[in-house]
Amino acid sequence: MASDRFPSFIASQLSYLMNHFSQAIKVEQAWCGSKNHSGVLDRFTLCIPYCLDYIKWDIIYNAEFPLSAPDVVFGPEDEHFHPFRLTSGQGGEEMNPLKSVLSNWSYKDPTRLFVLIQELRNEYILYQQKRAGAVDDDRLMFEIDTIMSREGIEILVSSGPEKPEEVKFAVPLLDMDINKMVRGCSWRHIQKIHLQAVYSVPKRYMSSPSAPRLKLVSTPELKTLFSVEDVKLPSWVSGMCMAEYLPHLEESLRGQIREAVASIDVRRCFIEALAPLFGRPLEAEPIFCRRATFLVASGVFSFMVHFSIPTQFPRQQPGLMLMSSQHFSSQHVPIKSAVRTDYPWSPRWEPSQMAERLFDFLVDEGMNFKKYCNEMQLQV
Amino acid sequence: MEDIPLQKIAISGPTLASMIQRVSSSLADSDGLLFGHVSLITSSILSDDDTTDPATSILVANVTGFICSGAPHSFSDTLARFDSAQQAPGGTHLIGWFSGRRRSRLQPSMREFAVTASISADPMLSFPVLSAASWRFSPRVFFIFSTPPAVGQGTTIHTHEYRAYQYHPARETFEPKSVSVVNIGPGFRGHYGNFSPKSPFPLLACESSGSMVMQEDMEVETLSVLAPATKDKELDLIVEDFQISDLGRLMGTEAAAYTAGLEEMYEKMLGKINTLTRQVEKSSARVIELENLNSKLRAAVAGIKKAADA
Repeated sequence: MASDRFPSFIASQLSYLMNHFSQAIKVEQAWCGSKNHSGVLDRFTLCIPYCLDYIKWDIIYNAEFPLSAPDVVFGPEDEHFHPFRLTSGQGGEEMNPLKSVLSNWSYKDPTRLFVLIQELRNEYILYQQKRAGAVDDDRLMFEIDTIMSREGIEILVSSGPEKPEEVKFAVPLLDMDINKMVRGCSWRHIQKIHLQAVYSVPKRYMSSPSAPRLKLVSTPELKTLFSVEDVKLPSWVSGMCMAEYLPHLEESLRGQIREAVASIDVRRCFIEALAPLFGRPLEAEPIFCRRATFLVASGVFSFMVHFSIPTQFPRQQPGLMLMSSQHFSSQHVPIKSAVRTDYPWSPRWEPSQMAERLFDFLVDEGMNFKKYCNEMQLQV
Repeated sequence: MEDIPLQKIAISGPTLASMIQRVSSSLADSDGLLFGHVSLITSSILSDDDTTDPATSILVANVTGFICSGAPHSFSDTLARFDSAQQAPGGTHLIGWFSGRRRSRLQPSMREFAVTASISADPMLSFPVLSAASWRFSPRVFFIFSTPPAVGQGTTIHTHEYRAYQYHPARETFEPKSVSVVNIGPGFRGHYGNFSPKSPFPLLACESSGSMVMQEDMEVETLSVLAPATKDKELDLIVEDFQISDLGRLMGTEAAAYTAGLEEMYEKMLGKINTLTRQVEKSSARVIELENLNSKLRAAVAGIKKAADA
């Protein structure tokens, strides 16, 4: 419903949370729990990143009682997660950060929900570590003992009636700050690469434990610089443990990231080499140099060429898309070509030579494209 | 004897219905306390051994009454510590509490866990189990009421869901328990004794002015100012001396004189009831007025412009 909205005190706490949390939090759905104020949203489901997945918690405010702190309903699989208990120790009176945020709750303070969620998530990390520690498996015990000293590691134990018990590790890799390596980068969140390792817990007395399922996962924005899908993971030798595996992986990743950062300049040189022939670009993406658009004229026919330059440039050639500035479809959309890579190319050429060959190709191709545009327009 | 599992939780149909009514008519989420008793029912297997053996007997919690404030967090502080100022009505014990959360998942929340843990941990609140006085039970019954989270607004179908749990402090878990709704009928005769009404007549001082109360423009003083009227005392005197056997005098020679006296007494009784109801009506109206005012103030705090005000 368009008229549905958060009351101001919830809205300000929610927006502070979304803007300040170290990872991207989402509100999955929001709804109204009040009798009198229909359309006033006071409860919502938060998707909080955890262990390369999301945990979903329902946050229950009361629009009718704004002074009260919100309550939280955790996921159905976390019925044993009790972060907020009084009887810790004997007196239960000592204040932990979670208790103090709840006992000094103030609806006016926009930071409160942020602190609450952060504290709860910290408790959740400990809770999952405890669960993983209770899993009866020698290999896992060893992995946990040797690897838990790494900072930022997260574990998730998942088990269900139908699927076998699994322990997932999310291991942050590389202590390098990729954000700082890219000049003028506009990423809001810290970019990270994690190794996801999923160990299935074997039934007792099974022969040899299988290798964990391994996968690299990066923060989504990193893809414009470096795609983890292109990384070939070192193979897992039987009997290996993670503490042995990680140094090799990190070493090779470190090199690849440096290469990826260096490739920004290679792409920039390429765009710059295009300029003397094509004229100044209409538009060029300046930080990662992945896209540039030039205006090309062939006689009286002028069209735009969009270059999309892959992260693997120059090993992979750029994709070209031609777009007419004179021909439009019946929906008034400029007519454009498919992405083309059928032009002469060699990664060993100098940028200036690449640009020359491209220019020659486009001079010829301009006539064909004009013909194509005219045909398309006639069809309409 | 701490973690005795309950076999089930019994509640009378009207009590459950009125709890649901209270929860669904309150402005926002609300909670309240459950009163009743816990009894050990020994199964009818005849045995020479007369010791109560837990294997053949079942423990049943009977919910006989409740109070609901119509507001959330009404008897616990911000840290979910139970405020034990509430007194159980005579003959019953505090056996647990309930929470009504509109449009949310039917699963105990973070706060509900903490409140339940707090109530069940209070040694002052434990009470003996009926018919097995050596056993003690601390309040561990928890009811949760809700409506489904994802229904479109403006639907005409009202769905109320509830679930009952027993809390286990040692395992820190809520164990779902079946709720047996006790209604009237031959199948439930065995339960009748469990739900005998125990509410005392409210101790309200009030005036009675005989037939005068029928007048519409009658003035009723506020409860605080009202002193017991002399006629009221008069009525008490008559009632005190009254014996059922005296009704025999309605027949025979004395009848005419006695009927008049009896009628007068009835009239006074009616008057008293009438005054009481009017006072209840007026005070209820005043309570609603105050509640609405509070609600408006809270809406102002929350920054909600109330469409319903227009």
